[in-house]
Amino acid sequence: MSVIARLEPNKLSAEQELAALLAQGAGDGAAVIFVGFARPCSTAGRPVDLLVLEHHSTLTQLSLEEIAAGAAQQFDVSHVRVAHRCGEIPAGAPVVFVGAMSQHRRSAFDAADYLMDRLKTEAVFWKMSRIFTSSRLVASSFPPPARVPCTSAIAPI
Amino acid sequence: MKVLFYGRLEEAIGSRLDIDTPPALSVGEVRDRLANDYPHMGRALHPKRARACVGDRFVHDRYILSGEDTLEFLPPVSGG
Repeated sequence: MSVIARLEPNKLSAEQELAALLAQGAGDGAAVIFVGFARPCSTAGRPVDLLVLEHHSTLTQLSLEEIAAGAAQQFDVSHVRVAHRCGEIPAGAPVVFVGAMSQHRRSAFDAADYLMDRLKTEAVFWKMSRIFTSSRLVASSFPPPARVPCTSAIAPI
Repeated sequence: MKVLFYGRLEEAIGSRLDIDTPPALSVGEVRDRLANDYPHMGRALHPKRARACVGDRFVHDRYILSGEDTLEFLPPVSGG
């Protein structure tokens, strides 16, 4: 069993993440991966040049680890791998890689689905899209927040 | 004392403020002072909208700060 959750400040290579996942999963019968990319337009149809994912120096990594561990606990998987970008991400570039390996396919599908559902709502990021014209910033916007930050590992004191 | 902001709070206030704090100041009192200084961000600074964090742990508004603490205000996250 391996559970890897990694915050990536630089370019994310889906090919390298997949290779690393498969290298660990020899003997498994199924590998399911999902790769999310920065969309070149907003949900309102406006063009977006840059996605900015602001993160917290420690809580963001903790949230990724907690979500990855949750998948490993809940599903019959042998390997879970999460790599998530932070910082400035050009439109079209990979933002997130999730992968799960298991003996049978259903567990890996379910784990990957679970990972993405939680990452999209609970991972500690603050998202902003930016639009440029001739290298000049012309608009910044925050999408509606998903939820108040909380991880079970960080209890109020 | 150093106060850090994220997300919408950072855009409105800046990523960091250094504020003079009297002894035994609570998180709630810092929150009130900020809401007074940045009235347009009063709603965003409400305890239900921005969680306070000291030393990577969430704290209640009654938490008493020391001058060495770094206080962080985290608005709702947007997820990845």
